[in-house]
Amino acid sequence: MIATLSQVISPGCIFIDVPGTSKKKVLQNISQILSEYSSELDADVVFENLINRERLGSTGFGNGVAIPHCRLSVCKQITGAFFRLETPVDFDSVDNRPVDLVVVLLVPEEQVQGHLDLLSQIAEKLSVETTRSRLRTLQDTIDIHREFTQSSA
Amino acid sequence: MKIIILGAGQVGSTLAENLASEYNDITIVDTKIKKLRDLSDRLDIQIVEGEASHPDILVQAGLDDADMLVAVTNSDEVNMIACQLAWSLFRTPRKIARIRANAYLEKRDELFNTNAIPIDVLISPEQVVCDYITRLIETPGALQVLDFADNLVQLVGMKAVTGGPLVGQELRYLRQHIPSVDTRVAAIFRKDRSIFPVASTVVESDDEVFFIAAKNDIRSVMNELRRHEKPYKRIVIAGGGNIGFRLAKSLEKHFFVKIIDRGIERSQWLSENLSATVLLGNVANQELLIQEDIENADVFIAVTNDDEANIMASMLAKRLGARKVMTLINNSAYVDLVQGGDIDVAISPSQATIGSLLTHVRRADIVSVHKLRRGAAEAIEAIAHGDKKSSRVVGRCIEDLDLPEGCTIGAIVRDGKVLIAHDDVEIASEDHVIMFLTDRRLIPDVERLFQVGFTFF
Repeated sequence: MIATLSQVISPGCIFIDVPGTSKKKVLQNISQILSEYSSELDADVVFENLINRERLGSTGFGNGVAIPHCRLSVCKQITGAFFRLETPVDFDSVDNRPVDLVVVLLVPEEQVQGHLDLLSQIAEKLSVETTRSRLRTLQDTIDIHREFTQSSA
Repeated sequence: MKIIILGAGQVGSTLAENLASEYNDITIVDTKIKKLRDLSDRLDIQIVEGEASHPDILVQAGLDDADMLVAVTNSDEVNMIACQLAWSLFRTPRKIARIRANAYLEKRDELFNTNAIPIDVLISPEQVVCDYITRLIETPGALQVLDFADNLVQLVGMKAVTGGPLVGQELRYLRQHIPSVDTRVAAIFRKDRSIFPVASTVVESDDEVFFIAAKNDIRSVMNELRRHEKPYKRIVIAGGGNIGFRLAKSLEKHFFVKIIDRGIERSQWLSENLSATVLLGNVANQELLIQEDIENADVFIAVTNDDEANIMASMLAKRLGARKVMTLINNSAYVDLVQGGDIDVAISPSQATIGSLLTHVRRADIVSVHKLRRGAAEAIEAIAHGDKKSSRVVGRCIEDLDLPEGCTIGAIVRDGKVLIAHDDVEIASEDHVIMFLTDRRLIPDVERLFQVGFTFF
């Protein structure tokens, strides 16, 4: 069965006005937030894994959006979270545009397919200009969650 | 990438020069404002004046936003503390430090890890130089030897000499001469000019030829380019300092080694710690050299900390009949000046150090980047990751790759096996791909090619 965004990203996992003036700092702050949200996640481990993945190639895929992701042995199921940054930061993206919308995916080591489906769902959703602009302007995290996870069909 | 460099000495400044041109955001920290001003006058970098290990200075340099810290001040201790602070205060992802003292290096595994002193990459110039010279001595006749893929593949630069079967012939004949050996010529340097080798290139005497092959095949290829060179046996090392001692230690098992030092106490210490013969005296003393049979020495290596002394001693040794002379030269401006005359190989510790540092500041999974002698070309080793969808190289044949012009693939190492690159070889995930570039400005293009797409997990 294909996981849907609403299964993976809970309403509590929407964070806005995340601070940070660089890709490094943003990923560090995001790791910190995630570790506070879920006790099984260690901020240093999440950060290290996200950074190591970025070294192999940026997950910034244009239009101000990035989807940093990594595998984590402590993850029992795919965990996702949405972050809106206080200020856009350089992410080494394909289009060189600074990023302000960040979706993080943490995936269990043994996961083979589900995460790729999710990745393409997210990419597809965020390729729509009106969706991006709503995600940038909505103030209530519940509204953002609804906008982000509602089925596009 | 945002990179903070601590120390604006020779290594720090050259590193800044190399990186500033490649879309990097560089900040360099030093206590000497004049050095910093000189640098910022000609490079697009930021400068911060102050103690490199002080937290406030590191904050001012913007370490909290940096992807990488390169600590190359003159002090091992400052470099170590800076890396410790970077980790404790900012969780800086990559920390590189130059460490010189043997006392620290001997305990490197216990000392340098996240639970102790968090340094990710340790650069020891003495070790780099020592390895460099050792490889040259193990490969008689070579002017440069570079290792790739855990020493499975080597790239060798050597002078073609009349008498070698391939000299005066087109490169394509190499295959007929030695059908069992697969090799690829990477670059040819002729009369101060670099030639891009093709099958019809005729090898001339005195050409410097750079080729790549599996380590075991290196000797066969070298024998094509000059008459067989006898292995080295007798080695004379001039200068018993840090480098001289290490070199003697690593060579004494397989060679007859003599080491000369002019300090009485140092000589005593050397003789207690080495099985090699230790001689007390001046390295440029003609009587001493004659008396010690320099005429029959295969290699004379001058590694004192004085460039002029090294150069003079080497020239003298050559005149007196030493077969090969190698000279350590700190002032990089002298290196090209002296190499190729009486002195067979000139070695610059700072260039060697910069070479190994540059490897670690790359994007994508680049494991090594080396400059060939006289800048004839760059050699670069990258690991391919992902699948046909997430990578731009995996699952594709070499001829279909979108390589920048001036870039050729020399060899691929897969699961410990060496494949010399032919057009129909398909790249697999985790392959080590060894390439040559005519120009270092192409490196960013290669990095981009080897970066994985965002679907890679």
